[in-house]
Amino acid sequence: MSVKEKRRVAITGLGLVTPVGNDVDTTWAALKEGRSGAARITNFDASGFSTTFGAEVKDFDPEKAIADRKLLKYASRSHRFALAAAGEALADAGISPTESTSTRWGLAVGAGMLSVDYTDLQKVHQYAAANGEFNADGLLSHDFPGNPLAFCRWQANAGQALLTKQFGIRGYASSVHTACASGGQAIGTALKVMRRGQCDWMLTGGFDSMLNPLGISGFCLLGALSTDNETPERASRPFDLTRNGFVLGEGAGFLVLEDWDRAVARGARIYAELAGDGNSLSAYRITDSPPDGDGPIQAIRQALSDAGITENEIDYVNAHGTSTQMNDRSECAALKAVFADRIGDVRVSSTKSSMGHLIAAAGAVEAAVCCLAIRYGIAPVNANYETPDPDCDVNLVIGQASKQRIRTALSNSLGFGGSNSSLVFRNPEEVKA
Amino acid sequence: MSHSGDPIVFTGSGIVCGAGGTVPEVWEKLNSGETAVRQISQFDASHWPVKVASEVTLTPRELVSDRKLHKTISRTDLLGIYAAEKALENSGLPAYREALPEGEQGAWNDRTGLVVGTGGGNYQSNYDFFPLMTEAIASGEGELYHFGRELGNQVTPMWLLKNLPNNVLCHVGIRGQYRGTNACITNQCASGILAVAEAACAIRNGEADRITAVGHDTPLEPEMVYYYHKLGLMSGRAPRPFDQARDGTVFGEGAAALVLERESEARARGASILGEFLGFGCCNEAMGILDLASDGNGVSRAIEMALESSGISASEVGVICAHGNGNSTSDRTEIAGIRRIFGDRMPPMTAMKWCYGHLIAASGIVDTVMMLEALKNGVIPGIATLRNVGTDLTPLPISSDSVQSEAEIALILCRGFAGVDTALLIRRR
Repeated sequence: MSVKEKRRVAITGLGLVTPVGNDVDTTWAALKEGRSGAARITNFDASGFSTTFGAEVKDFDPEKAIADRKLLKYASRSHRFALAAAGEALADAGISPTESTSTRWGLAVGAGMLSVDYTDLQKVHQYAAANGEFNADGLLSHDFPGNPLAFCRWQANAGQALLTKQFGIRGYASSVHTACASGGQAIGTALKVMRRGQCDWMLTGGFDSMLNPLGISGFCLLGALSTDNETPERASRPFDLTRNGFVLGEGAGFLVLEDWDRAVARGARIYAELAGDGNSLSAYRITDSPPDGDGPIQAIRQALSDAGITENEIDYVNAHGTSTQMNDRSECAALKAVFADRIGDVRVSSTKSSMGHLIAAAGAVEAAVCCLAIRYGIAPVNANYETPDPDCDVNLVIGQASKQRIRTALSNSLGFGGSNSSLVFRNPEEVKA
Repeated sequence: MSHSGDPIVFTGSGIVCGAGGTVPEVWEKLNSGETAVRQISQFDASHWPVKVASEVTLTPRELVSDRKLHKTISRTDLLGIYAAEKALENSGLPAYREALPEGEQGAWNDRTGLVVGTGGGNYQSNYDFFPLMTEAIASGEGELYHFGRELGNQVTPMWLLKNLPNNVLCHVGIRGQYRGTNACITNQCASGILAVAEAACAIRNGEADRITAVGHDTPLEPEMVYYYHKLGLMSGRAPRPFDQARDGTVFGEGAAALVLERESEARARGASILGEFLGFGCCNEAMGILDLASDGNGVSRAIEMALESSGISASEVGVICAHGNGNSTSDRTEIAGIRRIFGDRMPPMTAMKWCYGHLIAASGIVDTVMMLEALKNGVIPGIATLRNVGTDLTPLPISSDSVQSEAEIALILCRGFAGVDTALLIRRR
């Protein structure tokens, strides 16, 4: 394979809707302080569930965020987050598709898994399974209020449809889902589409909301969530010895990718270069990656190699760090294997300690966090850390955020199903002409 | 997009759908003029406006022999795993790996990827909660309170894992120890065909040396049929793409897979080559989830992108396999898009959903596997349900019978919700 000059890709816009803020500035302020977004669930009555708290998006006003009322009808909760965050990212970049550029704009998103609202399921239950057994003919009842609009909301690429329509993106468009790695893999896909010249701009990110009765049920059944119901704000404590599961969050994160030279030519503010993407499959177990970090190791190394750097240039790692026993141990083993002697020099934090786990949106939100860390020279804090775990002896940012110049940052997303995604972000000052 | 140097070729294929469980079986059915759309057996559809679909008749054991796995995955996953492993077996790669020195197998696995396109889930998976919901309503407690409290006593702990959209990726990876680059595409109808395209691009880009692309889906379930019918998308019989009497589509379930690698590697290991990947295009019409541009501009832009990325001209295309889902508007706008490129010099065209139904996420990759056969055998399968070409579409170079063809290059079109249009170009080898 001949070594080709890779097209350079700039990140020029960011947008966030997270449990700690409904825009980039509010979210970033909270992450610097390690403020928690976790609290008792208010979206529905969760009092009977084994976990009664989560990291909800708060005071989100979809009508303020999305002007087009008709579009709102087709939008699920996570789609609304997506439309708001994507709108912020485009406004932040100061560039958006026009009649003449729309076909050169693409979209790649990490979308949550197909789910339905509990209220929609209740209707099916009422008409076709009142006694607990499903009888298809119940759906044919004249009164069954089956709503094709609801159907449209839950199609696999429904969010994609809303985003392309809202912003007039007419080029490449696709959705991916590799569970918790979705957001990272979507951004990796966008980078590839840019590099192979199919688009000149990409809107890319992830969105998810599983903080509903059916979404949380899946994780409760698995025993994956922290059950610290009395102390929600302290429940997500990645890398702490006493960690006992993740905290389910919701939200969206979006990035605007742009050809580097064009971005420079128009005088755009460049947060970072999206420099490298790596992904691998652990092929180990559905929910865990191997204790020795095999799998994540290959993804990180590929991302470094794709960015044309060595581990020596990474100053900050935004870890997947879910706060489950297995993930954090495996991820630290991978980091120690990759960084070896330098492991003490690399600052590591999991911002899931504040925001919780945004599942398909996590990798995208955390990519934006890496951009902000580079821009402001601040590694956000790994909140709630108290008791060291000898298996997780990496150089965590604890107590408070660390003010430091970051040359390149790494973001990991490791998913159920064994997909691992790593992304490398380069400080624009480090980009040599 | 550069494609000079080492071509990307297909070295293995696998398929399962209502028309059969092997490539020769489905090919034969397609050319027999007989549709595999039959009475629905998976639920009692006798009172339903839509009573037919194309169902896979292989048993779960025949699809995946490991019974333990059946408890932790969905039906769509069984189909995807089956097709992927058949394609891998057909490519000879597992045997090739076995013959490698043990010390080299790990690195080989790390350079072996998987890209899967999937429907992303179904409604039925949530029905596991129905008994609990009934109990919760009767409990006299708050419904959700009871639901949450009794959840663990009523529903399998594996519920979430059973329904992960990326299960085929996960389990084909674990079973075969394929550990390289990977993706799981959830782009509705375009998922499977994009899996092929992204796999080829990843190899070109040096991310992996060989990748299995898979597409799988089981759209056939009452609630999905209900909504599609409500939206006016369903026919009550085998689809009649491009016919005057076309009135909708019907579901098929199934999966297909293709193994892709560089020609130099394929030749070096003595693999048989099924055909060559040339290029693809993907774009969208930005009109929302269901609407389609009346001028077919998404279709024509996708074809243009595919031609450009392949470095060929429209006149070199020898045959078109259309999406042809049998819906009036979809078929009309598809032809409008094709005409924007080919004008009145359209090459012979066919479409295959009349035979095995609309496999949604798997549709494009199933068609691709069949078009590789068509090029190899020099035969273009007919659209057997065709009686009279739609007056809004005529003239069209389509036939109800299979015809001989010397076509070398095939264009495969696949369209989906969200106005996504994809075009793939393959060449006979």
